[in-house]
Amino acid sequence: MGKIFDWIDNKFSIKQHHKKLFYRALPDNVNYFYCFGGIAFTLYVSLLFTGILLSVYYVPSEEEAFQSIVKITKQVRLGWFIRSLHKWGANLLIFFVILHTIRVIIHRAYKHPRELNWVIGVFILILIFASGFTGYLLPWDQKAYWATVVGTSMVGTVPIIGKHLLYLLRGGTDVNGNTLVRFYSIHILWLPFITFLLLWTHFHIVKRYGISGNL
Amino acid sequence: MDRRELLKKAIKTFFIIISMISSFILIIFLYPRNLKKKIVYFEVLKEKDIPKKGVKIVTFSYQKGKRNIKMKAFIVNHNGELFALSPVCTHLGCFVNWHSINQQFICPCHGGKYDITGNVIGGPPPAPLTRLAFKIENSKVYIGLKL
Repeated sequence: MGKIFDWIDNKFSIKQHHKKLFYRALPDNVNYFYCFGGIAFTLYVSLLFTGILLSVYYVPSEEEAFQSIVKITKQVRLGWFIRSLHKWGANLLIFFVILHTIRVIIHRAYKHPRELNWVIGVFILILIFASGFTGYLLPWDQKAYWATVVGTSMVGTVPIIGKHLLYLLRGGTDVNGNTLVRFYSIHILWLPFITFLLLWTHFHIVKRYGISGNL
Repeated sequence: MDRRELLKKAIKTFFIIISMISSFILIIFLYPRNLKKKIVYFEVLKEKDIPKKGVKIVTFSYQKGKRNIKMKAFIVNHNGELFALSPVCTHLGCFVNWHSINQQFICPCHGGKYDITGNVIGGPPPAPLTRLAFKIENSKVYIGLKL
């Protein structure tokens, strides 16, 4: 690496601790099906960056949310491009996370000693789905609104506490401006942060136990 | 140069190119747009031709790039208040017409209705008609557009 990086690394010593990650032994017969997790992570990183860019122009309010989306797609230079990257990246992320899960199931990679990593992976899967669901409301158009009305009303069918869970999720009796701000906060702060922590533990365990062998 | 070194160089070059493209996109995306837009005034009427009461349609044209764009506007005199209205319907951008019989601006596309001051009184428009910049100088009437 460059001189500046080496100088920083001299103080910080990040290279030494990650050598194990980059120079670890791989089992025989590793093939392209082992790439799904990596593809999903790359998409997650690209979603982080495009999301940060979109948050510069997006306004999470009842009156202005849709207008700001129109502004991003029509007025802002390359806004349509960044927004499309975010939208299609989100779709592809869910696709590749599911493929990764199926690959792990088929290869029985969830077995001892990697049980904990499977549990963490399931939580990440749920968080990715939650990110997709909360992000779907943010354009604040008819499709987004009614999808969220239907989606959140499913929570209301939980016995006894369903009604209260529904109010908690919507921030009111109906889907309105409160729901939008709530979902925005969850979508851009809570979920990415928790997902980041879980991904770190996910990779830490991969570093510790290595990739499981082939079938 | 051996195989490993070549691959390392190739990967490094790839990431440098990607990060350069990304930072270029970042700057383009964040840089504010329409900074140069300023109001350009067009002479449309003599002061003596201003209507005593009601609405007068004026037309004028300007160059935008290579195209010659014809534009119209309404000069309104309502209860002694003088202002200029844009004819562009706030629904989907058709030109509205003035109907003097029922004293309304009516959009031919989807039937949006505005009263003489430009406020919506019926139909799909989400906002009133835009008021254009307007000034009288040396007994001539000027209308300003943001170009």
